[in-house]
Amino acid sequence: MRTRTPALTRRQMLRAGGLSLAALGGLTACGATNATAPVPGLAPGADPWRRFAGTTINFISENTAPTAAIAANLQPFKDLTGINVNIVTLALPALVQRVALDLAGGQSQYDVVYADPYQVLAPYAAGLSDLREFAADDSYPPLEGGFEDFIPTQLQAAGMFGDSDAIHALPYDCPTMIWQYRKDIFEKHHDSMRTDLGFDPTPSAERTWEEYFRIAKWINDNVDEVPYGTGHQAKQHDSLMCDFSNVLWSYGGDYFADGAAVGLRGSEDPGECLLTSPESVAAAEFYRRLVSIAHPGSLGWDWDGVGNALAAGEIAMAPNWHEFAATNEEALPGLVGYAPLPRGPVGTANHYGGTGIGISAMSSGARRGAAWLFVNWATSTATQLSNLRSSAGGGTPTRQSVYAMPEVQAATTRPTEMPNMLTEEAVSIAWAEGKIGLRPKIPMWNECDTALFTELSRMLAGQKTAREAMEDATSRIDGIVARGWVA
Amino acid sequence: MSADQTADQNTAARSRDAGDAGIGPTPVAPSARQHDRGRTGGITFTGWMMSPGVALLGLLSLIPLVMLIMMSFSRVRLLGGLQLEFVGLDNWIRAFSDVELWKSWVLTIGFFVSTLGVELVLGIAIAVVLNRLTRGRGLLLPLILLPMFVAPSIVGLLGRYMLDPTFGLYANLLQGLGFEQDVLGNPVSAFVAVTLMDVWEWTPLIALITLAGLSGVNPSVLEAASIDGADEWKKFWNIVLPSIKPILLVAILIRSMDAVRYFDIISVTTNGGPADATKIIPVRLYEAAFRFFDLGYAAVIGIMMLALTIMIARLFVGLLSEKETH
Repeated sequence: MRTRTPALTRRQMLRAGGLSLAALGGLTACGATNATAPVPGLAPGADPWRRFAGTTINFISENTAPTAAIAANLQPFKDLTGINVNIVTLALPALVQRVALDLAGGQSQYDVVYADPYQVLAPYAAGLSDLREFAADDSYPPLEGGFEDFIPTQLQAAGMFGDSDAIHALPYDCPTMIWQYRKDIFEKHHDSMRTDLGFDPTPSAERTWEEYFRIAKWINDNVDEVPYGTGHQAKQHDSLMCDFSNVLWSYGGDYFADGAAVGLRGSEDPGECLLTSPESVAAAEFYRRLVSIAHPGSLGWDWDGVGNALAAGEIAMAPNWHEFAATNEEALPGLVGYAPLPRGPVGTANHYGGTGIGISAMSSGARRGAAWLFVNWATSTATQLSNLRSSAGGGTPTRQSVYAMPEVQAATTRPTEMPNMLTEEAVSIAWAEGKIGLRPKIPMWNECDTALFTELSRMLAGQKTAREAMEDATSRIDGIVARGWVA
Repeated sequence: MSADQTADQNTAARSRDAGDAGIGPTPVAPSARQHDRGRTGGITFTGWMMSPGVALLGLLSLIPLVMLIMMSFSRVRLLGGLQLEFVGLDNWIRAFSDVELWKSWVLTIGFFVSTLGVELVLGIAIAVVLNRLTRGRGLLLPLILLPMFVAPSIVGLLGRYMLDPTFGLYANLLQGLGFEQDVLGNPVSAFVAVTLMDVWEWTPLIALITLAGLSGVNPSVLEAASIDGADEWKKFWNIVLPSIKPILLVAILIRSMDAVRYFDIISVTTNGGPADATKIIPVRLYEAAFRFFDLGYAAVIGIMMLALTIMIARLFVGLLSEKETH
């Protein structure tokens, strides 16, 4: 027996389609909920550190040294506040995805966010709370030393965006690129190098990039302890832009007009790209030449690759982030020295890659208050000092008061329990005004960065000349900037 | 046949087509109407049985598809909730005029052809050898199939370590042979390396499917061919290969779908570099969607990929149907 039922008519089909679209609209609208519950008040006489006891918050961070140290030593925070912190650590690209999707969802799964200035802060500043609101609220424990205790350039670079005075993040780490070299090799061959090259090869801010090139070549030809003089993070990756930028700035080139301000405070409209300037092209040409004599692995290395190569005795020197000092000291105790990067025709530039931690604007209720207590604690003097000693990672302090501590000052020379402090002399020069290198803090930087390192990679592969690479990068960056940014 | 008869038949054929397409009532020849009533008159018992599955499929596939199409005509805002800002054909025009995107398409086709070609030749060769083995086949087969059970991202990591210029085994061997460059740092060798990693992982699948097909070849036909004086190559080319063609098409179809969305290995080895030499379309799609959050543009790339996948699937399904008809 056959059952007869009415067919789906066109009208029914249209109705079903309409319902689907309505459902889609509903789904789309669901994400727009951003109502936030108020933070519970402080009861009279209550301990401000324990007002959110029992609350659980989530902290999402890049898998960096300070977070490793904090994750290994969270108990003091729990004892102090009674707050549970779940820490999620990821590679930076994965972190950026999670944060963007979390902000889109409007539910604030992550209360505390590792706010990379270029990939999180600049594009999603509106999704981060203004921390001045918490610092000015007497019901919270005071921010020790105030915002002024943070190194001023770092507070602006890692915590602020555009013309606004809002502080979206507190400086949390401060990796900076410096010259890392095998002290033993430089000492052993010092005299022969000096005789052959005609200058003192000891790494310092007085050396030029041209001299760096000649030292690397000399080591290639004359030293048996390591196969190559220099190594670079020249993989088609963010690291290639970081490595190249040191040379670019020292040659007088820049990404945009008023590059220092665009780097320090950021902008949504940085203007035209300047990579076709003669200085930028000269920098690119030099960089191509430098990588051509570097360890062949350079074309496949990011910063970890360079760090491993130095530790494995494959290269005698490299520009790399100063937080690798802890790894270097473990692999080659006492054998690695640090100096500011060489200078170009206009001076030295040392790429700063620091990041802050902020609070999601969607975080609400007790979690919002608990998030501030955690941010306050995680960036405090005591925690930064403790991180420096941590065997789990080792921090890179962002407070001036930490660097002024006698035990920290004492740790700048060997033997030391705080290996990252061995770089103190080099980074203190690197952070000086005019010597710190800041990439453009623009919302669309991720895409501009990709355009640049792809063109640089083509140049290093011999597919383009330095001029062609810079022209094509400029054209792509101008197109990306012209399209603007919607968050 | 008279002109009137021909016209009637054409009308009937048109109305059948229209009925299939769900278009409104058209005068049809009585026989055609009776024939189609079961299909177009209402949802049959089978239809009702299938409806939960179809509804679930609709929920899981159609809504995202509609959303994808809507996004391709929009600029997508994320902050504070998903919002679509209609921009007309902007994303489509940008995609069709994006030279970098077309370079990636060329690369994708190159990758598709080379992986599939090498896997097919090697897979058939391995299957033929295994089919002839009388001893040790039980031991050899699992060993050959082993790569298939490794997660693609682990294959990528293994490849990366094997090719590391500092401590990689293959890199050292190549250095011994005079190839001093970093394999993953050179555009040509990086492309070859990621292709070979895919070949290493998925050739066993082709071999396995082919082996199943070979067991169905009629031995008496082969014996007859031998008696007629056919050599091994002739027997393979004229008897074995035509016999296993349908099953080979299935293997190619499965691998084609995979090759179009190849991502994991490239992501952990070269991430599209050097010089964009391994930036095939899935890598570019990922980049547009989840690194730049340019979701409207990514939707266009996604739809292009979907169209290519459907074309490939239809091509192979068509070839299979043709084979069955013959």
